[in-house]
Amino acid sequence: MSDQEPRTQIEQAIDNMMRRDLITRRTFMRRAGRGGIAVGALMTLPGLLAACQPAADPNKLAWLNWPLYIDFSDDESSNPSLDAFTAASGIQVEYNEGLLDNAEFLSKYSADLRAGNNTGWDVMSPGGWVVERMARLGWLEEIDHSKLPNWTANCADYAKGLWFDPDNKYSVWWQGGITGIAYDPALTGREITTFDDLLDPAFSGKAGGFSDMRDMFGLTLLSNGVHPEDATLDDVKEAQETLLGVPEGHFRGFYGNEYYESLVSGDLAISVAWSGDISQMNLYDNDKVKFIVPESGGMRWNDNLVIPKGGANIEGAHKLIDYYYGVDAAAMLSEWVGYFTPVKGLDAKILEDADAARADDPEWADTLEAMAPTVIPSADQINNTFTDKQLSEDEEKEWNDLFDAVLGA
Amino acid sequence: MPSLRRGLTPLLLLLPGGGWLVVFFAVPMAFMLLISLQQGTFDTGYQQTWNFGIYPEVIAEYWELYLRSALFAVITTIVTLAVGYPVAYTIAFRGGRLKNALLLVVVLPFFVSFVIRTLNWRMILSDNGMVFGFLKDIGLLQADFHFLATPASVIFGLTYNFLPFMILPLYVALEKIDRRLIEAATDLYATRAQAFWRVTFVLSLPGVVAGSLLTFIPTVGDFITAEVIGAGNPQVFMVGNIIQRKFLDSLDYPAAAALSFVLVAVVMALVAVYTRLVGNERLAG
Amino acid sequence: MRARLAGLALPGFTGLLLLFLFAPIAVMIAFSFNDPAGRQNITWQGFTLRNYVDVWGRSEITDAMTTSLGVAVISTIFATAFGTMIGLALTRYDFRGRWIMNLLIFIPMTAPEIILGASLLTLWVSFGVERGFLTILAAHIMFNISFVVVTVRARLAGMNRSLEEAGMDLYADGRTTFWKVTFPLIFPGVLSAALLAFALSIDDYVITVFSAGSVETFPLWVYGASRLGIPPEVNVLGTLIFLVAFAFIGVQLWAQRRQGKAAPITLVGR
Repeated sequence: MSDQEPRTQIEQAIDNMMRRDLITRRTFMRRAGRGGIAVGALMTLPGLLAACQPAADPNKLAWLNWPLYIDFSDDESSNPSLDAFTAASGIQVEYNEGLLDNAEFLSKYSADLRAGNNTGWDVMSPGGWVVERMARLGWLEEIDHSKLPNWTANCADYAKGLWFDPDNKYSVWWQGGITGIAYDPALTGREITTFDDLLDPAFSGKAGGFSDMRDMFGLTLLSNGVHPEDATLDDVKEAQETLLGVPEGHFRGFYGNEYYESLVSGDLAISVAWSGDISQMNLYDNDKVKFIVPESGGMRWNDNLVIPKGGANIEGAHKLIDYYYGVDAAAMLSEWVGYFTPVKGLDAKILEDADAARADDPEWADTLEAMAPTVIPSADQINNTFTDKQLSEDEEKEWNDLFDAVLGA
Repeated sequence: MPSLRRGLTPLLLLLPGGGWLVVFFAVPMAFMLLISLQQGTFDTGYQQTWNFGIYPEVIAEYWELYLRSALFAVITTIVTLAVGYPVAYTIAFRGGRLKNALLLVVVLPFFVSFVIRTLNWRMILSDNGMVFGFLKDIGLLQADFHFLATPASVIFGLTYNFLPFMILPLYVALEKIDRRLIEAATDLYATRAQAFWRVTFVLSLPGVVAGSLLTFIPTVGDFITAEVIGAGNPQVFMVGNIIQRKFLDSLDYPAAAALSFVLVAVVMALVAVYTRLVGNERLAG
Repeated sequence: MRARLAGLALPGFTGLLLLFLFAPIAVMIAFSFNDPAGRQNITWQGFTLRNYVDVWGRSEITDAMTTSLGVAVISTIFATAFGTMIGLALTRYDFRGRWIMNLLIFIPMTAPEIILGASLLTLWVSFGVERGFLTILAAHIMFNISFVVVTVRARLAGMNRSLEEAGMDLYADGRTTFWKVTFPLIFPGVLSAALLAFALSIDDYVITVFSAGSVETFPLWVYGASRLGIPPEVNVLGTLIFLVAFAFIGVQLWAQRRQGKAAPITLVGR
């Protein structure tokens, strides 16, 4: 049976192959062929890919946005507001919902932006602290406000001149909301009013936290009587201890967007949540869940439209941005999305649409009526919600490290 | 001349794959190693300061995570082996003409995206879902019982996802065992159990090793199962989760890279111990 | 009677396990026909075929799926070829620098996917390569090679060489021996490895996300869409992919049966 120098035998076999000239060359070629294709492909790669750079086309635009942040048609195959934009301006929009997380977004595109490359996008929708960072690092095109007549005329005051971009040099408000607490009264058994309610041992195993450091620490700081914009490292340490002080297993988990499903299904009785999500939840998935801004305060945040450097169609980008500050487009958008849309006259327009729909679709008309007031933050909501602190690099690292311990690290 | 040719053959065999790995794996990893020794911030950029101190630093702070991850991985591997071996055995020895078909049935669910499978498991196993809701309704379980967001559920999810990684190598090893050896054993008055443990199992060890490695190694670095099924519960926070956070949330690349290389070292050490125990010859070197 | 029962235990267990493996798939298929009012597809609300019609209208989904399949097929071919060659070299030859090759194979499997992904990103940016289909392909081939090698080696280990010797004794040259004796013998291992590679590629999220740029593969799309609740389209596509794989494999099996390729496998066993 085998194994008398089996290797030598096999080597022999393959060397026999090599020894015959014709076959040698052919076999060699065949084997090298594969390798050659690989090497060749590699070498042509940069060339090929360089040649594939998108040419600047004034009739094309690529927009990177968060999921479920734009209106969809009934069969979910198109976006009416974008279609209307294309009809009016002649510009095709490639719309992508790949922005899932602010830090992930930065991480993914920082390399290109730092090198001045085209990221492939003409418009993006990051959050406030990201805008601040991108602007500071010189990654954003300055916005030419002469090209934004709608914004100048219609933008509500609360949405201008925010801490991360006081002169709106680089960004305009897209959509915004509040981070607060959502709960199902049937599962909690009582009404909820404070952040401490979230930590109530009665809800052990059914309470949800956020994996976003700024949101979670923000709410906790507020409950300890500290405004996030003014928080010191000691304040954050105290907040960390508050969160670590709950018994193990109290927080079922620290979620990103996934808390939504768990709230709907009842796996969570109470959780940190975003206002617009709950508006949507009430309309479509679970109308028992309520949203509140905790007594000690909630976090107010928004996402912004920015134009990254290296983009191919800056003209078109401006057109798109201005389009959404027209009342019609804003109505199409917010009737679907439900977050704060700072366009003057929007609530009146929505009520108009409600009346128009009353004859054919009274249910939808009611929905619109209920929605009209929610797209504009009330005075209460503005007064009792607070914004992020602008963090230095060291602070950011320290705060992140402290938060990692809360997550279980 | 002949000796040159003899030396050439293995080289030719290795060139395409090896070359690919060098360009797309070794070189980037070298870059990452350099990054782990840098200091700085995302904004100001990173300087190559050769900060070797980062390694003791991350180990001191996160060693418990490594322990927890290794533990989860070991348990998952054992469970997968216990569950997968009988299946591989049945297909190899009792499969007959259905062998290939059965094998492909084992692999078939895994042509569906892992994310979809995991999401559907989350739905099935949700607190008041089709399994536990039913059990609660008929009174077999307490109302506040939950399976998701516990260490057990994460191990369950990991086991499910890595079963084919265990079954396939086991099958491959079992299938080529010469049946006459087993016959010989029983001819020599071995009981069926003895014949199994002393002949079949021993001969299948390369498959056990391959399967265990293919299961253990990726499990240690997992973070998606912990996130989706574990719901980000602090009790299931694994090394993979902290690495992901540091790369994608905190943007602390040097630490993330350092944590990754420590993970690689830990896994390699554990694997070295394992293969020593099992016996090197069996690894088919 | 006892022997009968014992004899049924193994197949019974195997059957149960196979059912278990299919559990989420069954749910996926069932819920692809669900008609949910909102975005959440978690409670059964009614049967509909509408989802199967709607899904084709959503180009981002169909594009993502096409991309995923393309990447999977191509990367499987290359990775299986490269990996089998390496497996052969490692098992049959002794050469210097063997340990380097072992390391090159081994570390990609131990390293967390995120570091493989992020390090590749560093490479692309350093050389100014724009990310897209080709970069995803490069990444997939890279991580699949190791798995192919490990699977093929388990097969090659302790393989009965006498058949090859017999081939050569019968004056078959090296190449004939390889393709007519060796390759069919290792084919089950190669096939297993190819299946594994394909499944890994179709599935991959982490490494892909770093090399994808603005191109979307199916897992990328699913992961994004799932963050806010799984739309039924996800289940529809999962079901369709599953059926395609099923059909593909069924055809392969049938073709193998017809060509009597089952023979070499039993040869080794007996």
